Amino acid sequence: MAILKMKHLRLMLMKDQKDELLRKLIRLGCVQFNEIKDSEEDPEYAGLLSGLTTSLSSCRNRQATLNSAIAVIDRYVPEKSPLLAAKIEVSADILLDDSGIESALNRAEQVIAADDRAKRISSEESRQRNLIEALTPWLPLDLRLEKPWTERAQWILGTIQGKAGIDSLNDALLEYTDEAEAFEINADKSRRYVAVVFSKDQLAAVQECLRATGFNTVSFSELKGTPKDCINLAKAELNSLDKEKEECFDVIEQNAEFRKEFKLASDKMDARATIAEAEEKLLSTENVLIMEGWVPEESEKKLDAVLSGFDCAWETEAPEKAEYPDVPVKLKNNFLTNGLNMVTNMYSLPQYGTVDPNPLMAPFFILFYGLMMADMGYGIIMILAAIVAKAKMKPRDNALSFTQLLFWGGIATFAMGALTGAFFSDIPYQIVHLLNPESTWKGLPYLFSPISNSETVLYGSLVLGLLHLNAGMIVSFVMKKRAGNLADAIWEEGSLWVLLVGGVLAVLKIGNVAGIPVVLIIGVIMLLFGAGRHAKGFGKVTAAFGCIYNTATGWFGDVLSYSRIMALMLAGGVVGQVFNNVALMPAKNSGINVLTVIAFILIFVLGHLMNFGLNLLGCYVHDLRLQCLEFFGKFYQDGGKPFTPLKFGGKFVRAKEN
Amino acid sequence: MEFLNTIGGGALALLGAALAAALACVGSAKGTGIAGEAGAGLVAEDPSKSGKVLILQVIPGTQGLYGFVIFFLAYSKVSNLITSINVAQGLQIVSACLPIAIGGLLSAIAQGKVAAASINILAKKPDDWSKGMIMCIIVEFYAILCLLASFLMLNSIVL
Repeated sequence: MAILKMKHLRLMLMKDQKDELLRKLIRLGCVQFNEIKDSEEDPEYAGLLSGLTTSLSSCRNRQATLNSAIAVIDRYVPEKSPLLAAKIEVSADILLDDSGIESALNRAEQVIAADDRAKRISSEESRQRNLIEALTPWLPLDLRLEKPWTERAQWILGTIQGKAGIDSLNDALLEYTDEAEAFEINADKSRRYVAVVFSKDQLAAVQECLRATGFNTVSFSELKGTPKDCINLAKAELNSLDKEKEECFDVIEQNAEFRKEFKLASDKMDARATIAEAEEKLLSTENVLIMEGWVPEESEKKLDAVLSGFDCAWETEAPEKAEYPDVPVKLKNNFLTNGLNMVTNMYSLPQYGTVDPNPLMAPFFILFYGLMMADMGYGIIMILAAIVAKAKMKPRDNALSFTQLLFWGGIATFAMGALTGAFFSDIPYQIVHLLNPESTWKGLPYLFSPISNSETVLYGSLVLGLLHLNAGMIVSFVMKKRAGNLADAIWEEGSLWVLLVGGVLAVLKIGNVAGIPVVLIIGVIMLLFGAGRHAKGFGKVTAAFGCIYNTATGWFGDVLSYSRIMALMLAGGVVGQVFNNVALMPAKNSGINVLTVIAFILIFVLGHLMNFGLNLLGCYVHDLRLQCLEFFGKFYQDGGKPFTPLKFGGKFVRAKEN
Repeated sequence: MEFLNTIGGGALALLGAALAAALACVGSAKGTGIAGEAGAGLVAEDPSKSGKVLILQVIPGTQGLYGFVIFFLAYSKVSNLITSINVAQGLQIVSACLPIAIGGLLSAIAQGKVAAASINILAKKPDDWSKGMIMCIIVEFYAILCLLASFLMLNSIVL
């Protein structure tokens, strides 16, 4: 329920125990390593120390090799995985065990090599196919391609446009020389394939003529034999390439059964790379290592138990105020508020030494979400989805936050749905009236409904907004008071409260003295004085005007922004209602029979699925906005750095929790 | 006025309903079209992303749906009374249909552009594509407001 207290850790250790210690710490998963800065300040100290050479890049390279082998196998032999499956859990011992890595790497390299070869073969294949395609029109030509001449004669191959006849080409040739003739070899819709045969000494004249007639010369000088020979050769080549490709596929397929081993080895390499990353931050003399980092106060005992087995000296101390911006932040929350980690992580963590917004935000976030969705049917779906996901995927970290948020959001959605009488919008009402048109039933009972009491709901949303904003201001007030800035708190939050109370009293016409709303005016004066109290001279005037403008527009804007609660509540209901109407229309028009029931189910399911999906996301985004913009704006100090301890973080399997 | 009377309120009411459906659907068609063009480029490179591309592409499709919702409400309101609605009532229906007609048309196109840009995010930083989705939903809100404005007006019209 709070930001975990962190302690600054310094440790000195015999160098030969380094590997064992790091392996113990990665299991513990609660120590973050830092770059050591002190050495920069103290040259004498720095002279003794040097960084370590680590295997980081080789570990990452090997991991990348394994991952690309897995990708290749997944591409050729897709794995059918169940929709919601938890990652396989393995013990830390297995993850830190080196066995199996080398053989997996060898196999991975084979797979990648086979894939590369298959790719090269594919490109060669398409080259051969293109060749066959280009040669096919020339099949009737019974001349060798590599030597387009005899002792006296020579020929040029090429194409002319289909519209131009072979005769017109011959006529054109006659104008240049009478020792040349064009023969049509083949023709298709757009082109004629032509061989022009001529006496060798007429080459220049023929070329000139061909240029003038738009003749496209085709050259196959790199080929040997007649077109038929060449095509046969290319076909034979294609056959052998195909066989070779099959061999490559076989290699990949044979290795597909090792997919699990590859995945495990990849995560083993990830653990080694993570350890190497930590090593990069260490400094050492010949025999001694120095490390610095952070450890949560609550994990100190566990760390003590581990370190007692080593020859080391270590100390922890609470960070000083000046250090706060550098202290990593970890939030600890319970079942109810942990879901909001998703929101906080996405926005920005709070600074160390400030407040954890999750417990403050949780009741509002969940309530607003429920109000926006407000449908018993959708609520049930959300609760079920959360329970199933929790059971099947055994989520951790962010995924866990998500399922928890889904669960609480579902409960709120169901509760608000019960208050507004919505179950898949108004389907009970519609079905009852379809079955019995004379029924006088008015639908599920409701306390308030966005459709019949939209104004009430709108004002209710704005009042909730006021409460929400004031909760934020109370937090800000307390934080300022704790930091010893009571004066700031009174002049800023305090004067706004007086102003707000004054505004309410003025509207209700209570407490007016001689028609003047005294409290309101006191509030305005306090606000103006507060704004100008640090400014000097003319600055006081501009500060005051700026303050009035900001307060008026800012507060109006903030409060009106909460009207989106009503807007989303109403929109979801209306769209759902129309789908219900459309779904029941066939039954209304042509009676209840198999077809109309099928049509109803289809339209109902698809329509509500879409409305549900859209609202699930839409309500989240708008709730997020209300929290991050309106609520956080009142007090939140963001910019905390996340706590990133040395721990297992593989992609495919996960370490069992100790 | 005389001229409008010759047309009749029923025709005007139908015009309103038609505008709500047609303009909003045109907007959605353009929006999903813009996103679809960008998406096809990405899918050509990486077919495994087609699911996510589809999700981004359908987001600008909701305005058409909202337009249809208003069309449906307006149409079911007037369908039995087409011959008896007077011009004033007809114009009321037209006015009520205008927010979603215009808002749906323009917001869907704007949203389509955001969706197309988000497909860029999906291509370059696949892990952050949900942020693009959120940007799209922000545009959606104004279509929702238009839907509500139309809905509230339609609800208050007494025929």
